[in-house]
Amino acid sequence: MEDKGLFGKILAIVPGLAVMIGTLYVLRVYVEPWMKDAVVFGSKGWLVQVLSLNYILLSILTGMFYRNILFGGKIPTWAEEGFRTTRLFIKTGVIMLGSLYTFDKLLKVGGVAIALIVAFVFGTALFVLWLGKRLGADRSVTATMAAACGVCGVSAAVATAPGVRAKPVDLALSIATILGFGIMTMFVSPFIGKMLSLSDYQFGAWVGTGILNSGQVLATCLAFNPNFAPGTAVAYGEIWNVVRVLCIPFVVFFITAWYWKGEADAEHVSLGSILASKFPIFVLGFIGMTALSSLHIIGAEGSETLHLMRDVMAWVFGIGLVGLGAYIDVREIKAAGGTPLRIGLIAGVSKYVIAMIIILAFIPKEGAF
Amino acid sequence: MSDKKKSLTVFKSDRHEDVAAILASALIVVVVLTYMAFIVPSVGIKASQDGKLVEIFVTEGADVKKGDKLYALEVVKKKWVNNVMEEKIAVESFTAKANGKVLKVSGKPGDSLKKGKQTIVVLEHEKGTLP
Repeated sequence: MEDKGLFGKILAIVPGLAVMIGTLYVLRVYVEPWMKDAVVFGSKGWLVQVLSLNYILLSILTGMFYRNILFGGKIPTWAEEGFRTTRLFIKTGVIMLGSLYTFDKLLKVGGVAIALIVAFVFGTALFVLWLGKRLGADRSVTATMAAACGVCGVSAAVATAPGVRAKPVDLALSIATILGFGIMTMFVSPFIGKMLSLSDYQFGAWVGTGILNSGQVLATCLAFNPNFAPGTAVAYGEIWNVVRVLCIPFVVFFITAWYWKGEADAEHVSLGSILASKFPIFVLGFIGMTALSSLHIIGAEGSETLHLMRDVMAWVFGIGLVGLGAYIDVREIKAAGGTPLRIGLIAGVSKYVIAMIIILAFIPKEGAF
Repeated sequence: MSDKKKSLTVFKSDRHEDVAAILASALIVVVVLTYMAFIVPSVGIKASQDGKLVEIFVTEGADVKKGDKLYALEVVKKKWVNNVMEEKIAVESFTAKANGKVLKVSGKPGDSLKKGKQTIVVLEHEKGTLP
């Protein structure tokens, strides 16, 4: 890639990106409408109503099919660069989600979201540090898993790895373990949510607290309720997600500091330098979008303008989710055995279940907006 | 993960990717707003939720101002009250989001409408406003 120049780099992205866009087009324009009308077991729309299959889940499943079956476990070189735009689409979508809120709405649920997320993020990180010691895991593996389980499967683990000298294989296994757990919860959570009659507010709060990866939080909320609008599961889940993403630099600092204590020659890094290098600045875009929405610059609620904006948002997310599916390598997840798997499963399941208990006990069904 | 082959982004770093995402979303907003304000001459207004069309307040050729009532829909409103889902039928009025002129009235009182499907009113909006 280094010698191709800007034009060459853009050209290299085209094939993979075309596959992602084409896949989503077929799913949204042909497959989803067909599923809504299809009669299965004598019931019209059974696939949508009972299996909750919508374009969100189909995008992920098709991405998984591409990687694990069609491409034989590895994204081919011709498509690789295009599929690497996945996170760009998901981050762009997250920024656009800021249009669902106004600042007064954010303030209404912000306090609850901050309290729950901070308690769960640091609680889980501390639990994993303790569990890693109990299970005799390597300190760098424990540190990476604490970041992965505490705040976010990929971003925090990758951000923590250099500071704690994690080996690439340990990092890869930690990410695979966490993503594997996330995939399982992504498909199971909408059913649990509907079984327990959770409201959109409760579901968003639960998933935003209990699921570890931004893309998976979004996908799960949209699988529960595919609408983009204030008061829907994705609107609430995203507030929790943004608060969690904002915790990344602080968790990286906390875990790196824990690592220094046990490694006399380890590199010392200040919170300031971690904030400067790891602060997820795309969140500022989300806040900027909320500012535009608060000032009524992007169209009134219920307007055709906002309707078009949300339709574009759905396409942006959909493209990102096809790519997300293509980054799920079943063999990598199978390989993530041993200690990381045990730590990941124990921490992940505990967080998932405790978050559900707390949400059922303390979060009312009626949302704040 | 520092190896370019294992990188999860096409950009130099996550920071570059964040900036690109901000620019991409800003570009999308500018394109959508410009398209709706200056390029689209008229919009077909569809029901924003499932319901029965009760009344249309405008006629073809009429001028409307932002905030004027366009149509009323009988809808089922769902709300959680004391952890119980309450459903009640209510009539809601929907208003114009920009100044403009009614080009066509397609809906009739009594029509059952599906969210985002049938057009009720076609509105030509003033250039530079967001319909």
